[in-house]
Parts: sequence; structure tokens; C-alpha cells
Amino acid sequence: MLKSETKLILEVCDLHANVEDQPILNGVNLQVYAGEIHAIMGRNGSGKSTLSKVIAGHPAYKITGGTIKFEDNNLLDLDPEERARLGVFLGFQYPIEIPGVSNLEFLRVSTNARREYEKKEELDTFEFEDFVQEKLKIVKMDPAFLNRSVNEGFSGGEKKRNEILQMALLEPKLAILDETDSGLDIDALRVVAAGVNKLATPNTATILITHYQRLLNEITPNYVHVMANGKILKTAGKELALQLEKSGYDWIEQISSNKEENQ
Amino acid sequence: MKTECLEWLEQLPSPDGVLASEQLIGRESLRNLGLPKKYSEAWRLTNLKRIEKILKLPLAQSNQYENSIDKNQWPEIPKDGVRIILNNETNYKTNLPNGIRFLSNDDIKETINLSHQSIDETNDWGVSVNKACNNKLLALKVDGLEEQSLEILIPSQKETLNPSRILLVLGKKAKLKLLQVIIGEGKSSNNNLIQIHLDEGSELNHGLICFGKNDSSLFTQACIKQNIDSKYELNAIQHGWSISRFEPRVFQQNGKAKTKLNGLQISSEKQQLATHSLVNFNGPEGELEQLQKSIAADQSHCIFNGAVKVPKEAQKTNASQLSRNLLISKAARIDTKPELEIVADDVKCAHGATISQLQEEELFYLRSRGIDSNQAATLLLKGYCQEIINNLPVAAERWQILNQIIENLNK
Amino acid sequence: MTGQNTVDKLVSKPYKYGFVTDIETEKIDKGINEDVIKLISRKKDEPEFLLEFRLRAYKQWLKMKEPNWADLKYPKINYQDIIYYAAPKKSEKKASLDDVDPKLLETFDKLGIPLSEQKRLSNVAVDAVFDSVSIATTYKEKLAEHGVVFCSISEAVVDYPELIKRYLGSVVPISDNYFAALNSAVFSDGSFVYIPKGINCPMELSSYFRINSGDTGQFERTLIIAEERSSVSYLEGCTAPMFDTNTLHAAVVELIALDDASIKYSTVQNWYAGNEEGVGGIYNFVTKRGHCRGKRSKISWSQVETGSAITWKYPSCILQGEKSVGEFYSVALTNNLQKADTGTKMIHIGAQTRSTIVSKGISAGKSSNSYRGLVQIGPQATGARNYSQCDSMLIGDQASANTYPYIRSQQPQSNVEHEASTCRISEDQLFYLQSRGINFEEAISMMVSGFCQDVFNQLPMEFAAEADKLLALKLEGSVG
Repeated sequence: MLKSETKLILEVCDLHANVEDQPILNGVNLQVYAGEIHAIMGRNGSGKSTLSKVIAGHPAYKITGGTIKFEDNNLLDLDPEERARLGVFLGFQYPIEIPGVSNLEFLRVSTNARREYEKKEELDTFEFEDFVQEKLKIVKMDPAFLNRSVNEGFSGGEKKRNEILQMALLEPKLAILDETDSGLDIDALRVVAAGVNKLATPNTATILITHYQRLLNEITPNYVHVMANGKILKTAGKELALQLEKSGYDWIEQISSNKEENQ
Repeated sequence: MKTECLEWLEQLPSPDGVLASEQLIGRESLRNLGLPKKYSEAWRLTNLKRIEKILKLPLAQSNQYENSIDKNQWPEIPKDGVRIILNNETNYKTNLPNGIRFLSNDDIKETINLSHQSIDETNDWGVSVNKACNNKLLALKVDGLEEQSLEILIPSQKETLNPSRILLVLGKKAKLKLLQVIIGEGKSSNNNLIQIHLDEGSELNHGLICFGKNDSSLFTQACIKQNIDSKYELNAIQHGWSISRFEPRVFQQNGKAKTKLNGLQISSEKQQLATHSLVNFNGPEGELEQLQKSIAADQSHCIFNGAVKVPKEAQKTNASQLSRNLLISKAARIDTKPELEIVADDVKCAHGATISQLQEEELFYLRSRGIDSNQAATLLLKGYCQEIINNLPVAAERWQILNQIIENLNK
Repeated sequence: MTGQNTVDKLVSKPYKYGFVTDIETEKIDKGINEDVIKLISRKKDEPEFLLEFRLRAYKQWLKMKEPNWADLKYPKINYQDIIYYAAPKKSEKKASLDDVDPKLLETFDKLGIPLSEQKRLSNVAVDAVFDSVSIATTYKEKLAEHGVVFCSISEAVVDYPELIKRYLGSVVPISDNYFAALNSAVFSDGSFVYIPKGINCPMELSSYFRINSGDTGQFERTLIIAEERSSVSYLEGCTAPMFDTNTLHAAVVELIALDDASIKYSTVQNWYAGNEEGVGGIYNFVTKRGHCRGKRSKISWSQVETGSAITWKYPSCILQGEKSVGEFYSVALTNNLQKADTGTKMIHIGAQTRSTIVSKGISAGKSSNSYRGLVQIGPQATGARNYSQCDSMLIGDQASANTYPYIRSQQPQSNVEHEASTCRISEDQLFYLQSRGINFEEAISMMVSGFCQDVFNQLPMEFAAEADKLLALKLEGSVG
């Protein structure tokens, strides 16, 4: 591996986090380089989603140890909006419905916030409409959704498309997609996956959090990590996902608990 | 307390005009009622000191109207729109669109008497004050199948008490979009009574914008009688009054009508805004959908009391009521009380109430897209208001109320 | 077999506990005045401080007005026509149950509360109160081994005067309301529970209140103190004979929970409700309040209210300690001309306090059933949360169900959520069950019990089944 030549985008070191005094992350280590796609798998409650929220800066989680570096920035010092402007994007597992707030306005305000940071010019209402029309094609989304309230009354698939649309508009350096495949039928999954593939570049990185192999059939990861009890237990290539699909998580947890006993 | 009321009644001009008999009724009931009392359930949360001030104001004079009203802030009337300005003598004779006409004095007498059944002024302070001192009435009838629209503007003169009254009758299958705008001025009080009769199959979209400022107060009562198959939709917004009390009362005479009540009150500084609604189903198969929202900022106080009565006659009623409240300051306060009284067994009735601040998850979602927390909060507040404002008749857009609200909240 | 008539027929069942025990009773003269209060106090050999407490309350009561705000109409009560003290003759509490009048034991046997050593429930300690006095408390010795005090309040006044002085009236002050003041002046007996630090009370505690005399008011007083890290589950049951006059029951219950303590208080109330025409029955005007004084303390009220002509009670929690928890689970069933106005008050004072309200009202006949509740979040209660759910079920088109939730918040960092719904037993549901071979009455009772399940789940095991049976009895009618 020629990692020294590519740029380190994300570096998570010995990360510990609590929610309501309950430890959820117990020492996560992860390095993500430009151009890479990582998949994080694991059972429910293993800490995958927490990891993604902690990277994005969700206020409900308390960091009790470790660091997260994003390029040259210490992410833990930054507010969620500052992280987003730097280019960290979290695709939500359950995108939030916000009645009354126009989707179009929301997209425009957030796009401009990111553009301002990138020193790109601000888009006015008309320019933005053109810009968004372009991006809509990537996710094959009906423009009618722009005029509705943010995610309100969207079906599961529409919500996920709206997430990928945001990703397309914000052009992040690191996209973390938290169970973007859950609740999607096969056609919607393909559209979403095609969008993700299209947006991946040699200068950006993607982390996919998922339960299932089927997303990884559409988006090929460079690395697959398995999480349990708030830690990454095993890291390997894409073949690990196939193995998990076949044999479940038990054997990995077995191996790792044996390891701990031997130590 | 009673004497203050009596003194006020003493100095009123003697009854005259088309409302002379109404004035007698109003004065008689005020004599018995006196000022509202703390220990009565309907007034226990009200800042009564501010109510007392109202009767100390002189009555507005219509000949003073031109000099004392600030028209600069009124948006222009749209090209084919009609605006009637109340308390301005000349405007009672505006050209009305085809399909809307002024009611004759005989019609007025008949209709006003009919509506006595739905207003119980003996128990009703706001209505009684209006009746006691008001001698002007705007009485309109809408007929035909074409949808009409109308704007009624009710300004206040500074440092006076401004009573006004509207009687609106929609004939069979008539349709109207009504925008009613009440504006408060410094140290003024506005008291508006609107009575609405909806005949079979008629539809009314009623927008009510009540914007006060600088120590102004408001009493506004809407009494709506609905016949079967009629539809009534109300979107009411209250903002900026030192004290205000809005009392919509819907009476579904024979059931089988649709009622939609949306309310939004946004209080800041030391304001106290209240909505006391009552929906009475008097026949089967009536429908109600009610959403009341409040935002309380600074040291303000928002009150909602929503009564729904479903008597035995009202089988197969379907009523839902939701009170959603945002408390955005530590010194603000919110009181909400849904009130459901049911004596029919085959009905669907649900109500709900929530009080919270802005949702953390919503804020985080916006922030995770690069929007800073102030801007995110503003977006959410706007969205919260927009759910109601969006339903106002189109004519309301020109009033740009959302911007004013947000500006005041960000002060 | 559908239609309203059948349902109507099913909703009433003769009152099973309406018998009168024929026993020699010592009663004082009707009426209330200072002498009567002194007499009650003397009869109970009370220390001076308690007499003073009573007299203070009496003076307060004279100044107060009988409330009329709850929309409950009833004939004016003549307070001079009530007997304020009645006790079975030779009623001094006996050292052994063998000395208790067999008629009394028999009465409680008949009520399903056997007291004698052979028959008594193995895991429930019972304090049996007959008219104005406690006649027996079971398992006292066993409880004493754990330091738990469970006795009548009259005994506690003599044996634990310091605790009484400190806590009596500390949660419900004598001037709290008209009926609380009256109770404080004339209370006769009731239960006292004290759980020392760190003790989980080893068995269920239970008081059983029986009104026997028709013209006697029942004014019991209950005080439960749970010290730090202790816990207790307490249950009260009540019945009364059928009289065609109305009897006043004005009890006061005070609960105090200190740091990490937990009190669970369950009530199965089945006072005589009057006949189909609304003649007779108990006026049940009760003040129940718990004070979560300590951090992380918890008070949970569960009630099944089926009796009384008029019920008027709002078991409440004052959530003062940080992270303290209040709960209220209620089933209220009204039939014929019964009126129930019940609910709770959750007063959030401390930070991160939580409360849950689940109320199920079932109205049948021409009865009226109201939920009235207050949720108040004070300015200091950061992070407070409340969830309330109030459901009503109407049986027949003569009954009424009302909901009056008062909600007030003065703290933005808090969350209040209230939901309410009304439903009836639908013909479709009935038909579905009947088509599976379940008979009509059983189907109704299944659905009512399903409707109440959230509340029954909160009752102590032994009583959940009983409560279910009680509702079924009230509703089923033609069976048995």
C-alpha cells in the first residue's frame, strides 16, 4: 500500500464517548486516506452510528477520551456547522423531518455556507436553482420535492435521495453514510449507490455504515471494518463483508474475546 | 371593580343607530359582569391590570380618523382586490365586487337576532364591551358560486378604544377568501367582533392577522355559525400586543360541517397573548381539525384554552386538536389547556399538547449541513410559523408578517 | 346480540360488599365543635401537640368555604349531621388476634381479607380499619425485625411522636383545602409506615378500610415515610355497606420519599356507589400527595376507582429532589349516576425530574367521568420531562367523558407531551371476538381489560388480578 503518497483525511485515535453516562465508544482507531472507501459493519448497538454522529459533532455525545483529526483540524474543538463547512458530511440514517422549513431554502443556505468557506461565490436564488437542477439528475429526484418542507412526508427512499442530493451540493471531502441502504428497495438502492459512486473522487473519501452486503455489491469498499462493543475488532478487504454475510458476526467476536483472554 | 365599569358606562353616548338595541344589551350585561375576575376559570391567567386600562381610554372618533392613522406601513391594494377600512366613514361605501353586497338594515336586524343564540354575552366581557360602545357595523352578504376575495383592515387610533363589528353572511354554496387585518398602535385598544353565518355548502377561508405594538391591546371575538356541508378554515396570527385575547367560537348548528382552526401566537418582551377557542357540535358527523401554535420569548406569556364539546346529538363527530408550544426563553411562560367534553359514544376525538424548545435533533441536522446555530434556529422558527402562515389567503403575502415576526424575535 | 340495550344491561352488577356487620358500636354525638375534637383526642389518648394540631385545623376549616369548582353537583352536606367518631365497643387493640371480636374477623373474611393467622395472605401485611379505628395489623413482628414500622396512626402518635410531629401535615398542610382541613381536625385512624434507611420492605403492606355505620364520616389519615435508599409497596382497599344516605369520606394521605427512596401506592377503591337512581353512596373527597424530597426518589400512584357516588381526588407528586420521578396510573370506571373527577398534579421543581401519567376513564350509564390534571414545570426544573396519556371509553350515549389537562411550563429546557383520545367498543371488534366463539359479556370485559392493561401492569401482582375481576364484575352483570 502506498499510503504515504496519498493524503490522510481522517484520523480517529483511541476515541471514547458516552451518552447519558453510558459508554458507547471504547477506543476506536481509524485512518481514512483520500480516494478510499471504507465500510463499517457490525450488529445493532455496536457503536457504528455513534461513531458517525460523534465525527459530525452531535451534542448528545460526550467525548471522554481520544482525538479526531480531519486534515489539519482537531474536529473535537469544532461545532457541527464548522465541521460541515470543512467538508465533513453525515448522511443520516433517519433524516429529520422539519415541517414548515422549505427544502429548497434549506439546501441553498447550507450550500452557500459551505461555498463561503471554500471561497467560492455565493449563489443567489436563481443561480442556485440551476445548480440544484443539475444535481437532481444525479439522484434522479423529482424537482417537486424542492418545494416541500425538509423531508416532511417523504418516503424512506425519497429521504435518502434527499441526503445524497445534499452531499452532491455540499461536495464534502469526507462523506459518512449511516445506513443509507436501510429501508430502500433495490431500485432506489441502485440510484443512491450510483450517486455515491459518481461523487467519489481521488481527493475525497467515503465511509459506509451498513448491515448488508447488498450495498457493497454496488459500492466496492477498499476496507471493511467490523465493530463490536464500541471498538473496531477486525479490518480487512472487501472479502470480509462476504464472509460476514455468510457466517454472521459470532466468529469474529469469538476470536477477539479469545485474544483478550490470552492477553 | 364594578364601579369602574359603571363609571365607564355612564360616560358613553346614548344608544343610537342600527346597533342601538345591541348597545342596550351590552350595557346591561356589563352592569352585571363588572370587570373580569381572577377567580373565574376563564380569566385566572389574565393580567387584569392591563384589562383595567382599556376602559380608561376614550372612544375613537371617526372624524379624527384621517389624522390619527399611520398608513405608511400598509401594503398597496392588489389590482383587482378590494380593501375595506373599518372606522373610516367613507369606506363603508366602497364599491364591492359583484357577488358581495351590503346587507340592508332589515336584514341586519334579522341576522343579528339569529346569532344571539351562539353568543352568550351575559357571560362574555369582550363581546359586552363591544356591544356597549360600538355603533358601527359592516354587514356583508356573499352570494353566487364564484369565489370572492376581500380584505378588511381594522386600524387603531392612538390612545383610544377602537370598537368595530362585522357581520358576514355566506349564502348557499358561496365561497369567500377573507383577509382580516387588525393593527394596534401605541396605547390603543382594539375590540373587534365578527359574526359569520355560513349557509349550506358555503366555504370561507378566513385569514386573521393581528399585529400590535407598543402597549396596544386587543380583544377579538369570532362567532361562526355553520350550517351543514359548509367549510370554515381559520388561520389566525397574533403578535406584538401588550395583551390580547382571541376568542373564536364555532357552532356547528346541525353538524356535518367541516371546521379547521389554525392559530399562531408569538409573544415577546412582556406580552401576554391568549386564545380561547370553543367548538360546539350540535349535530352528527361534524369534523374539526385544530392546530394551535405558540412561541413565547423574553418574559412573555402565551395562553391557550381549547374547548371542544360533543353532546349526545353529535354522533360520528371526528375532532382532533393539537396544541404545540415553543418556549424559547427562561423567563417566558406557557399555559395550555385542552378541554374535551363528550357525551356521545360513537365519536373520534383526540387531542394533544406539547411544550418544548426547538428540537435538538432538528438543530443538529441543519448544523451538520454547515448552517450556524443562530441561523438554524431562525430557520426552524420560520418553518414553525410558516406551517400556519402558508395557509393564509394569498393576499396576506403583501403584509410580510413572517419577516416582522422574526425581526421582533431577534431583537 | 348486539345493540345498546345489551351493553346497558351488562354494565351494572349488584354491589357485593353491601352488607352491614351487626356489632355494638360506640358512637359520639353528631356534629362538630371544639368539644367534639377534644373528645376524639381524649378517646385516643393523644399527646397535647396533636390536639393543638387538630384545633388549629378546625379553626382554619371554619374560615374556609366548601369548594364548588369541580363541576360536581351534590346536595349540600350538613356537617353537623355527621358522626365524627364510631368504634366497635371494647375496641382497644388486642395483643393477639384471638381477642378480636369474631364478628369483626368474620366481616373481613367476608370481604376477602382474612386476618387470622391460619388464613391470612402469606406475603401481605394488613392493617384493617373498621369505621374510626384500626382493629388489627398483621405481621407486625416480622416487619419489626427489619426495622419497618407498620401500625395504625393512633399507635404511631403514641409510639413515634417525633416522626409524627415532624411529618404530619408537612406534605398536605392543614390549610391546603377544605376537606384536608376537616380531616386534620377530626381524623380518626389510618395507617402509618416508616421504612428505615436502606431497607426494601420485605412484604407488601396493605390497609383495608371498611365503613360500617351509615351516619359516620370516614376521615382516615395515612402517612408513609421512606428514608434514604428504602422502598415500599403499599395498597389500600375500601368498601362500605349500602345505605340510602350519603356518607362522607375525606381522607388525607401523605407520602415522603428521601434520597433514592421509592414508594409505590396502589388503591383499589370500591366504596358503595349508590343505586341505579343515584340514591346513597359515598362522597369520596380525598387529598393524596407525595413529596419526592430526596434526589432520585420516586413516588408512583396506581389507582383503580370503581366505587363512590362522587369521587374527587388527585393523587399528586411534588418533584423536588433532583432526578426524582413521579408516576400516576389510573383506571376510573363510572356507571349509573356516578361522578368521578380524578387526575393528578405533577409539580416539577427540581432539575431533571420526570413524570408519567396514564389515565383510563370508562363511562357507562348516565355517569360522568372527568380527568383533571396539572403538569407544571417550574423555572428551576431544567431537563424536566412529562408524558401524559389520557384515554376515555364511552359505553352508551348517556355517559360523559371529559378531559381537562392543565399544562404550564416556565422552563425551556424541558419537554411536556400530552395525548388524549376517546374511543368506544366497536361493533366490529365485538363481532370479531364473538365470531371466534367468545361470548358477548366476555368480549366486552376482554376489551375493557385490554383498554386498562397499561394501568393494571403497574399494580402489585396479587391485586392486578383482583382489579381486573372487579371491573369485570361491574361490567358483566348476568354472569354468576
